[in-house]
Amino acid sequence: VSDSNFSLLVFITFSVRSQDIRNTVGNIPMEWYKDYPHIGYDLEGKKIFKPIRNKDELDEFLDKMENPDYWRTVQDKMTGADIRLSDEQVDLVHRLQQGKFGDVNFNEYEPAIDFFSNEVMIHPVTNRPQDKRSFIPSLIEKEKVGKLVHAIKMGWIKPRRPKETTPQYYDLWAKEDPNSILGRHKMHVPAPKMKLPGHEESYNPPPEYLLSEEERLAWEQQDPEYRKLSFLPQKFACLRAVPAYSRFIHERFERCLDLYLCPRQRKMRVNVNPEDLIPKLPKPKDLQPFPTTQSLVYRGHSSLVRSISVSPSGQWLVSGSDDCTVRFWEVSTARCLKTVEVGGAVKGVAWNPNPSICLVAVSYDDTVVLLNPGLGDRLVCTATDQLISSYEEPEEVMDQSVQWAVAEGEGHEQGHRLILKHPKTVRQVTWHGKGDYLACVMPDNGSSLQVVIHQVSKRRTQNPFRKNKGLVQCVSFHPIRPYFFVATQRYVRVYNLIKQELTKKLMANCKWISSMAIHPGGDNVICGSYDCRLAWFDLDLSTKPYKVLRHHKKALRSVAYHRHYPLFASGSDDGSVIVCHGMVYNDLLQNPLIVPVKVLKGHTITHDLGVLDVTFHPTQPWVFSSGADGTVRLFT
Amino acid sequence: MSQVQARFFTENKKYLIDDVPFSIPAASEVADLSGVINKLLEAKNGQDLQDFLKVIFQKLCGIYYLETWDKTEVVEIEYVEKFTAPQPEECIMHDDWISSVEADSEWILTGSYDKTARIWSMEGKAVMTVAGHTDVVKDVAWVKRSENLQTGSLVVNDASLLLTASLDQTIMLWEWNSERNKVEARHCCRGHAGSVDTVAVDPTRTKFCSGSWDKMLKIWSAVPTVEEDEIEEPNRPRKKQKTEQMGLTRTPLMTFSGHNEAVSSVLWMDAEELCSASWDHTIRLWDAETGEQKSTLTGSKVFNSISYSPLCRRLASGSTDRHVRLWDPRSKDGSLVLLSLTSHNGWVTAVRWSPSHEHQLVSGSLDNVVKLWDTRSCKAPLYDLAAHEDKILCVDWTENGLILSGGADNKLYTYRYSTCVSDAGA
Repeated sequence: VSDSNFSLLVFITFSVRSQDIRNTVGNIPMEWYKDYPHIGYDLEGKKIFKPIRNKDELDEFLDKMENPDYWRTVQDKMTGADIRLSDEQVDLVHRLQQGKFGDVNFNEYEPAIDFFSNEVMIHPVTNRPQDKRSFIPSLIEKEKVGKLVHAIKMGWIKPRRPKETTPQYYDLWAKEDPNSILGRHKMHVPAPKMKLPGHEESYNPPPEYLLSEEERLAWEQQDPEYRKLSFLPQKFACLRAVPAYSRFIHERFERCLDLYLCPRQRKMRVNVNPEDLIPKLPKPKDLQPFPTTQSLVYRGHSSLVRSISVSPSGQWLVSGSDDCTVRFWEVSTARCLKTVEVGGAVKGVAWNPNPSICLVAVSYDDTVVLLNPGLGDRLVCTATDQLISSYEEPEEVMDQSVQWAVAEGEGHEQGHRLILKHPKTVRQVTWHGKGDYLACVMPDNGSSLQVVIHQVSKRRTQNPFRKNKGLVQCVSFHPIRPYFFVATQRYVRVYNLIKQELTKKLMANCKWISSMAIHPGGDNVICGSYDCRLAWFDLDLSTKPYKVLRHHKKALRSVAYHRHYPLFASGSDDGSVIVCHGMVYNDLLQNPLIVPVKVLKGHTITHDLGVLDVTFHPTQPWVFSSGADGTVRLFT
Repeated sequence: MSQVQARFFTENKKYLIDDVPFSIPAASEVADLSGVINKLLEAKNGQDLQDFLKVIFQKLCGIYYLETWDKTEVVEIEYVEKFTAPQPEECIMHDDWISSVEADSEWILTGSYDKTARIWSMEGKAVMTVAGHTDVVKDVAWVKRSENLQTGSLVVNDASLLLTASLDQTIMLWEWNSERNKVEARHCCRGHAGSVDTVAVDPTRTKFCSGSWDKMLKIWSAVPTVEEDEIEEPNRPRKKQKTEQMGLTRTPLMTFSGHNEAVSSVLWMDAEELCSASWDHTIRLWDAETGEQKSTLTGSKVFNSISYSPLCRRLASGSTDRHVRLWDPRSKDGSLVLLSLTSHNGWVTAVRWSPSHEHQLVSGSLDNVVKLWDTRSCKAPLYDLAAHEDKILCVDWTENGLILSGGADNKLYTYRYSTCVSDAGA
């Protein structure tokens, strides 16, 4: 036991004795008695009470202020009594806090006696006799040596090789292919060569290189950076007269600056296979059927054929021409079955799409005539005639801008049934899908009367728009819903006929729209324009074109959709008809697939006009085109 | 000059030669090969037979590739009798386009776009004009020829029956007395709601079938009677008056519906089976008794015309492309098109099998050419008959070897084609 421990023990016994209160409960956690007024019991079984501690904070504070021994007073947790520490105890606490020994008298730095040193002594340190094992050979070592000897005999352990003293080298580039182009070779960029001196640097330049006086003055006044020549050409009589080159150091310095300050690096050229940039489109071969060859030519018109239309059954074709006739053709044989003369160059023809009505609307000059061609089912033809003749004049006569008249006499013989006199030249006629409404376009910039809608059964005419913005080019009814499309020069406006409001305005991004067609599903529109473009609009997607096709070389005159097959066609002044595959998916997430599949040529260009109208056969994948050469052609 | 080993064979026993390979020059033409065969036959049979015998080769196209053949192989060449080219006989002018033609051994019946049908003698003499339709005559057919005809109790001798189908939605049954040269409209068959494009008379000559643009096939009785069928719509007096003028109204016995588009051609395969081709890209076979649809052959193009040969049991079809296609109407499995004959440059508007030869057929096209085909040489036609100046709309081939074709140039051409003995019989 060291002296410090001994003194601690003394301290504890001293503190217990000095208080004369015995701890009767033993070494238990004192908090067990925390809530009791006593701690343990004496021999008579009476409680030993804790000293009364009724000091509050204020008493504590006062005590702290007034009692000079407050700082050396601690509470004995065993008894709960306050103990005032003596000077020795305080000193002990201080020593312990400083990390010193508790005993004042202990010298920790006593001189050490070095018994075991490196010096060999003549006498042993201890007098102990040596062990026996110090004199007999070790069995363990013998066993180990035996094992090593055995291993050496068996050749498992080999003697160490003599260390080679010659330094080892190897060929760093031994594995390198001498013919391969290495990175450092590939990336090598030779320094740019210096320009070779010209005649002006000669010591005896030709006189035209020598500067005149004004030129020299100009050269001197010029900023050195902008000088064309960095020196003045000089003429010397002979080479011997040439002085030392004054700018030599300067030039070398500039050259060095050029070499190390101008970064020389290869520009990374992006290697893209140009074929990868072409979008993946299915082959036209996989998109059949579509028209591929010219099959029939419908000859008979003597002037350009402005407009064609196919009967809803697909048996007949009507064509209107500038030679003031309307011709009816049998589709399958190209036979002209009927020719009806009208009083002017025919601008538009439209066969009524309703199969139970046999009527053809023909527009020429300011007149629209409804013709009954008498083709197809006799019952339908007579029913149509009856429908027209059974009309009864309403009591109140409305004041209409269009005059309705019933054709009589020779006109009736030819098939004329109703004659509608318009105030202006009618350019286009188009039927509603049900076959009762007929829309006519009278282009006239700024006028309020550009589009009229006729109701044939009631012989009524409406002007749907109070005001038309721009020059109306063509109109069309929506195939299913009560919408009405009006194409002006730049825009296509979509009107809701029931709510009588503008629903959409499509921006065609072209100069002058010439024609328009509505997809039979009703959600897609194509517009042809005079600046060689065809714009496809997806009405659900945007008011801007989904795709613009620029395949024609000249102005587009007409566009058309097929009713069943995913086909559309465009006819142009370059004499060609381009048929495209235009698949529209029911899935709203999938955009329409547009693939040009065939260029159909056949029409000859007359007076700079090629194809004037295109239309599809209602049931077969055939396309008709009419041209300025007076023919209608069928491509199948 | 390289030589090729060739072995010649034929199915015709009359012209057999020894079955040994011959060495022939590789650059041989058809004429050279014919010469070889003729020489061999001369040596075998004597001189007298050989003056007129000519030989053609089945592999007409293969001949051109003789030089490319492996020299060690023996080329098998079949040879058959050569038919003399069809000789043009008559050119009969019409007033308008000829839409249809049907000829028998004595008379030619044509339907025209001038709303009439005409009967011509074989020499091209106009015998009779059958006028009565109010619109273009689209098809014509003979029903019966110059036999004793039972009309009620009266027996009339030497009267023929013929049919005309028209764009005015009616078919007319006419009785023609060739002795007195008088034609009389017996019946006006009403019921179609579109132009009647085709008629076909059944093998028993008592019924006929018509196909129309209204997608229907209708079967009618071809026996003339004195009673009028009941008209279903009595509230149209004007029409009725007209029918009284132009023969008694007749209503269809049966109606077959099933086509989705206009019916373009119809024919009887036998007394119980009908075959129709349509714009809906199908050929349908019907049971004529029950009206049941038996099978459907689906193509990819609109059919213009079909023809059936009982000799080889094949259907030939002309459609709105350049090909003549041969079909097996009995086959139930996969490939229905047996053969495509491609040489035309326009729609094939008319096809007709030879009535006497199982391998030959004739086709007319919008490219103004009539082509005569041998199905054994499918790569090229035997003969091109390029007489027409405009679209060909109809062709026919009679029992006695006359090929007729009519078209949009208002001309009906006839060609004499040497009747050959069918190989099957030899």
